Formats: sequence, C-alpha cells, structure tokens
Amino acid sequence: MPRETNIVKIVGEDSYAKLRSTKCLLVGAGGIGSELLKDMILMDFGEIHIVDLDTIDLSNLNRQFLFRQRDIKQPKSTTAVKAVQLFNNSKLVPYQGNIMDANSFPIHWFGEFDLIFNALDNLAARRYVNKISQFLHVPLLESGTSGFDGYIQPIIPGKTECFDCTTKETPKTFPVCTIRSTPSQPIHCIVWAKNFLFNQLFASEPSPEDEVDTKDWGTTDEEEIKRIKQETNELHELQKIIVDQEESRIPDILDKLFIQDINKLLLIENLWKTREKPTPLTKTQLKTIDLADKKLDLNTVWSIEDQLSRFVSITVKLMKRIRTEKVIEFDKDDQDTLEFVATAANIRSNIFNIPLKSVFDIKQIAGNIIPAIATTNAIIAGLSSLVSLRVLNLLKYAPTESPLDLNMAFTAKASNLSQDRYISNPNLAAPNCKCAVCMKVTRGVLSINDMNITLGELIGKLREKYGFPEDISLLDSSEQRLLVDYDFEDLLDRSLKDVNLRNGSVILLTDEEGNEETGMVRKPLELYINVTDDNSIKLTLPPIDVEWIKQISEEDKKMEDEKAKQEEVNEEIIDGEIVILDEEEEEIPKGKKRKLDDEITSENHEMKKSKIDETDDGQIILD
Amino acid sequence: MSANHATNGTVKLSEEEIALYDRQIRLWGLEAQTNMRSAKVLLINLGSIGTEITKNIVLSGIGHLNILDNHIVTEEDLGCQFLLGKEDVGKNRLDATKTRIQEFNPRVNLSFDKANIEDMDASYFKKFDLVIGTELNTREAITLNTMTRQLNIPLYLAGSNGLFAYIFVDLIQFDAEDEKLRSIKATEPGKISQNREIISIDERISEDDDKIVYERIKTRNLYKPFQNMLDDATLNGKLTHRQLKRVSNALPLTLASFLSSFDDSSKETFETQTRNMCLKLGLPIETISTQYTEQFIRQRNVEFAPVAAVIGGALAQDVINILGKKQSPLNNFIIFDGITLEMRIFEL
Repeated sequence: MPRETNIVKIVGEDSYAKLRSTKCLLVGAGGIGSELLKDMILMDFGEIHIVDLDTIDLSNLNRQFLFRQRDIKQPKSTTAVKAVQLFNNSKLVPYQGNIMDANSFPIHWFGEFDLIFNALDNLAARRYVNKISQFLHVPLLESGTSGFDGYIQPIIPGKTECFDCTTKETPKTFPVCTIRSTPSQPIHCIVWAKNFLFNQLFASEPSPEDEVDTKDWGTTDEEEIKRIKQETNELHELQKIIVDQEESRIPDILDKLFIQDINKLLLIENLWKTREKPTPLTKTQLKTIDLADKKLDLNTVWSIEDQLSRFVSITVKLMKRIRTEKVIEFDKDDQDTLEFVATAANIRSNIFNIPLKSVFDIKQIAGNIIPAIATTNAIIAGLSSLVSLRVLNLLKYAPTESPLDLNMAFTAKASNLSQDRYISNPNLAAPNCKCAVCMKVTRGVLSINDMNITLGELIGKLREKYGFPEDISLLDSSEQRLLVDYDFEDLLDRSLKDVNLRNGSVILLTDEEGNEETGMVRKPLELYINVTDDNSIKLTLPPIDVEWIKQISEEDKKMEDEKAKQEEVNEEIIDGEIVILDEEEEEIPKGKKRKLDDEITSENHEMKKSKIDETDDGQIILD
Repeated sequence: MSANHATNGTVKLSEEEIALYDRQIRLWGLEAQTNMRSAKVLLINLGSIGTEITKNIVLSGIGHLNILDNHIVTEEDLGCQFLLGKEDVGKNRLDATKTRIQEFNPRVNLSFDKANIEDMDASYFKKFDLVIGTELNTREAITLNTMTRQLNIPLYLAGSNGLFAYIFVDLIQFDAEDEKLRSIKATEPGKISQNREIISIDERISEDDDKIVYERIKTRNLYKPFQNMLDDATLNGKLTHRQLKRVSNALPLTLASFLSSFDDSSKETFETQTRNMCLKLGLPIETISTQYTEQFIRQRNVEFAPVAAVIGGALAQDVINILGKKQSPLNNFIIFDGITLEMRIFEL
C-alpha cells in the first residue's frame, strides 16, 4: 500500500488533496521547528517554507535532532532542509533571515501562505508575526516551550484571541539602589557585574555619564543617590586603566570596587539600620592574590581566593583583547566575559554575605538561558500539527463548526497545574475587546503600484470605500508621525512618495467626527502599504468592513491618559535602565533590537493606552 | 549538585558532555544526567512511536539502548517514520535505521536484536533496567508484563489507533520525590488516590533572603499488571457524574480494542464490547458517539506521525524522569485524543 495510506485513512481522500495543495510557512527551525518540520512532512503538506536567522550551536544538539556535530555554525534553515531529504515528500524552501525584515519578507510574501506556524524563541518576533497574521487574516499556530512546560495556541484572526490579547511576562527589573547599594541575592550582584561594571569598563565608549532623573532609584535618600552618581563618574577612571593597558594597576580596580566603594557605602548609616553590613575586602587579600593560572571546575563554587585570582587573570586577558576589539560586549558564550562577570559578582556577593554561585549557574542567570529538552518540543510540535488539521477543517469525522470549538493546549501535569491531566485543552476564547492589536483597529493590506497619487486622493478613496466622514486624521503609525488632521492639511497635495510612505509603511485612519445621532464612530483602520511591481494594480483596497463603535467619552479618555502616563514611566525604566537582562537567543542582533521594535510598533498613542489595563488571565506564556 | 557527587561506579561527565547537555542539565541537574548514563533500556518495535521514543532518549544521553524488532520496511511506513527513505522498502527495519540512530548521539551505546518478541525469554529481559513495548497485541503485552513482574523490571507500553493513543505504566512500586512550595495548609501524609500515597514530607528553606519554604514530598506509587488493569478497570467513585460525562470516547474504545482480537471482529461485535466497557467503567453509554466509533474502526492500526510525537515524547520523558530519579512518574493509564488534544491520566 502506498505511502499516503495512513494519512488518507485519517483525513479522507478529499482532504488529502487539499493537504497536498496547502502552502505553509514555518517560522523557526530550532527546537520546536525541527520537530514541526518532521511532522508537517509526514502529514504530506504540499509546500513548506522555513525561515530561521540562527546558526547551529553545540548546545542545540540535545534536542534539535536534525543537526549533527559537523553542522555547528551552519544555518539552521538550510541544514534542516538537507537533513530531512531522506523522508521528504513536500516542496521545501529554506531562508536564512530575520522574519521581521520587511525587505526580505514583504507582506505579499506572507500573503501566499494558507497557514503560519510559529516556532520562535522571542517575544518581538512572535508579536510581529501575530500582527502580520492579523493584517492578512491568515491563521497562525503559536507555540512555545520552556523546560517541561509548553503550550500551543491556534489564532484565527478576528475570531479568536490573538497573541497580544493577553499580557505577556516582561523582563524583571530591579530598583537602582538594590543593584548599586544594597544587594541581597546573587542575581543583584550578577546584574551589577554584567550591566553596570562590565558595560562601564569594556562595552561603552569613554563618555561622561548622563543620569536620567526619572529613574526608579528605589530610594529617596539624597545622600545615596549622590553617591551612586559619583561612583559612576569614578568608574571612568577605571576604564582608563583598561584602555591604557595598565596591567600593574589591576589591584587599583579591586581596591576601588571592593574596598573604597564599600567603605563609602558603610558611611551611609541609614542603609544599615535594618540590613547586615557588608565587609570590604582587606588590603592583605589584595596583596596575596595568586597569579598562577589554576584549572578550575566551572560547576563548583570557587573559594574567594580563586575568585580574586581568576578576576585578575581574566581582566588581563580582556585588556589585551580590547586593544584590537575596541569594544567588548557581554556574551554568555564568550568565556572571558562570562568569567569576568561571574568572578566580579561572586566577590561582591562575598562582601554582602550572599551565597556564591558556580560559573555554570551564573551563565544561566546572566545569559537568561531557558532550559530546553527534546520531549517537550516533540509533544508541542505534535499538538500544533494536529490542531492545524482542524484549523484547515480537514478532519472528516470532526468538522470544525466554529473557530471557538478549536482547542489550545498546554502541559498541565509537567507545569504542576493538574495531577490527572497530562495536557489541558481549553477551547479558544473570543478576542479580548481591549486588545490593541486585534480588536481596537480594523486591519488590512493596501496594494499599490503608483506611489505618485496624492494623500488627498488616497484619503478620498478610503473615505468612499469604508464610509469615513469628512473629519478624519491620518497617521504614519510605523513612524508615529501625523500626516493629516483638521488643522494640518499641508500635505494633502503631496504624493505618497513625497511624504516618505513606502513599502512596509503602516497608516492609520481615524474617524474624528462620528455620527452625532448614534454617538458611534468608525473603528480606526490600519493599512499596511504593499508596493507592487504589477502595473495592472494601480490601487487595491482590502475588502473589509469597518465597524461602527461607541465613541469614547472625555472622562474615559482622561482615565486612560492617566494610565498611559503610568505606562510611560514604566517604559522608561525598561528602556533606559541598566538593570535589564536580555532575552536569550535573541533572533535579532543586539544593536538592532531597539530599532526593529520601534518599526513594528504600529499602535498609535491612543491604542497604546488600552494595553495596560489588561490583566493576566493565568495563561502560561513561555519562550 | 556538583560533578564530584556523581553516583558511585559511574564516571564523571566530561566538559564536552556538559556543554552538549547544557540545556537539559539546567533542568534536571548533573546528578540525574549522570544517573541516566548508567541505565540500560530495551525498546520493543521501531514503529512510529518507537522511532519517536528512540530519538528522544538517545538525544538525552541515556547509557545503553537495545532495540528489538523484526519488521520489514513497507511503503506505508514511509508515511509515518522519519528514519526511513524510499530505498529502504523491503529491508529489515533495524538494518535500515541503525547508523541513523547512532548519528543522533555517538555517545550512547546501542545494540540491536533482529528477533521476535515471542522467541525471547526471561534470560533475555533480565539484562535490562527498564522495558518499553510498542505496537504489541494484547497477548504479547500480557506475556511481557508477566515476565517484567517476575524480574521486577519497570515496564511501559504504548500504542496508537489513528488519532488516538495510550500509554500504560507498570513500575510495580516506585517512591518518587517531588519538591513544591508549601501552601497555607501543609501537606499531610496518607493515601491521595487509588494508587498513590504520601509517605513522608521534609521541609527545605531557600538559602536566599526570601526564606521560601519548600516541601519535599515522598510519594509511593503502586501499580497493577496490564491484565489486572483490564479486569478491574473502573472509574466508579473516582470521578463525579459531570466528569464521567466528559471522558473522551477514546478511553472505552481503546480498552475495548484490547479485549478480543479487535482486528478480526466485526463492527457490531466491537460496538458491543465498547458498550460493555462503558458499563464496567461506569461511563454513560449515551456519551459514545457513532462518529468516534466509526473512525476508530476505520483508523484501526493506523500510525500517525504527530500522534506518535506526543505519545513518544510523554513516554520518553517519563523514562528519563525515573532513570534520573526526578519528578513523579505516570500512574498508570494515559489516553490521548488527537482531535480535542485532551490527554488524561487515569488510575485504573
């Protein structure tokens, strides 16, 4: 009997033909991605496109079963496609690239797929693909794992909850004074060593520090804040020692960080009324550092003498490297930077009577490493593949009557949420009416060939097609820039090209007038501009209906403004603060992250406000 | 939890092994990883579930895996097994896959026996610390289980029928230690379900400033042989009426399929068996849907890759947990419904 015998028995002949003509996008060829690719091929999907930015690392091989030792440093997407040739029966197209790069992956490219599988490891890319699926109304299968825990969530745009309908965990932050003055846990010292000390010494160009006054200091003690600012300035002296390659002065660095600065802290008596006082290193300790390079086990906790000795030898090493590299960034896989941070953190922990940690343990905290295993990934990928059949309505004996009949699933027993359910499978929920991504706006894609038409002409067409009134505003929401409103009409006669709209720009049309009788307004309309080479398409507007919604009263607006202010404060802490840990295995090169985030933030200010009053509904969200 | 504390008689993990297994050692610790390396496991049959189990436990760095299989590769196998290609049709399954399995992880000791399960006796099975049987018929399952009981070896069984699948566990008796946050009400020793009993509780206070109190709970798990489970299977008194109504049809259908030779029986005989099974379990007969029964019959003995991935993942993880001596084991019958994605654990 032929290869497809089994799958035909499951879906039936008709659905099998549909399966063969289905075109899927798989975003990610890592832990879940390798497993999904295998399942999707064995389910006989006609065409699968695989995108991944990463290359293969040794620590992937415990679970990413398509990769071997010899594949280390090779791109994941192309290597995965080569590895599955043995059993492949589908058309496979690999790409090595960042899914958020709109030049490599324009929206019309996403539009070619019947279904998108997310197998990602970071929030930014998940949010981006979620938004794309909302623009295009393409179903998305979201999934994630962390150790024994995992989840899958089918997303049917407009019909079920989207990825952003529930709040997601954001990185943990600490007040400045906990990190700089009163650490009480190993993580406080690790954050100090990595984000403050390491960055000041090796990563930043020498420049005077500008302290922002809106920081969450965690204290109102003026004396302490003054001390923290002064201490930062003094670090520039230490940076000079590094830059000038003055090896003989490394003991001065230790003296400054672990004796003088601690003594200054001890002078602020208020700090120690309720806390145990730190004990600075002694001059004798600094004089007796053993400079012989000892072999040390990374999995055990070293003595304070070994910490000091390794701190000195690693600093010498980094000093030599900085001569050619100019700037060194912390990287958990760069052993020198890791050991510098580990020893500095442990020396500080020792001073503050905090337990020391092994380099292995510190790597996990400093690198924000998420444990990952083959089994959870296999289970989650299996669930995601199975539910795809119901999303596409291909199960003969179990037709999908409504998207709300579909199930999400998570590992209930492994996550200690249930004793008698290995997997829990709640039905999907309807979209959260407060979700800024899927409910507060109507979304669609506008295809255009002629960018010479004027803004005025475009607005006219939009007004006519979607029934917007005279008084509207138009925003370039990809760049948070006002294009037109009632007292700014200067750009109306300018062409789209002239006002810097381009492929990938997102515009937001808002009804500023409403219907006085009914008190209703058109829901804001957000359109993704897809510039096409096809001459026959002058301008195509998406065939969508824009609903009437209730106008927001002044009072509600005021309340939301208050909350938005609160959020801005929080955001500043997150953006400007030194105490944020990075996300692990980020798909985007570090320097670019901020910029890309901005580019995909297409919510305008109005919508941003609504995000904060969501509460966590207890759903587990993992990477 | 340092490398120096490795169990007696086992060799410390090398730095390279620690780097390779980094992401899982961070989850279950060096000690569990070292424990796993001394284990010798037998897997019977390398079908779709067997392949998934093999992949998972070989990647995880188990000590020794022995596979027993005597099947010839068919064209149908190509649609549900990722270790086979077109050229392998007609070859012995183990011959075709041997080197591919070793490639998953060169550090694992592998051995292969091209033989039938009925030709193997106690002297064969006693070499192993744990046995996993897949794709077995009821007679084979009962014979194997009798043997593992006599030899005091933990046994896992798994099989699938299209979109539905099961795992059966018989660890005979197993004491598991779990750690959890102490809630307002401290845990008390005593029986917690038909097969499980808490036998001791120790407290541990976290070493950081938060002074969080954890409970180390030792739970004794008792198991039944496969035959006894079939004979005694009931949910009466274990679930409320509401819960009974929601139990997936996959449970009575799967149990009924064990009873007589499901392969040869007519639709009517099977329907009668399913109804009898419902009565025995205490399930309302009206909850059985004809659609479920029909597709269960149509998908008889059908292997399906994503179902195998879920079942093979869950089974392999439980094996890893008990070998590493981490986490509570499954007890004792797990049913997966690939339509609704429900996967429940029943103590039968």
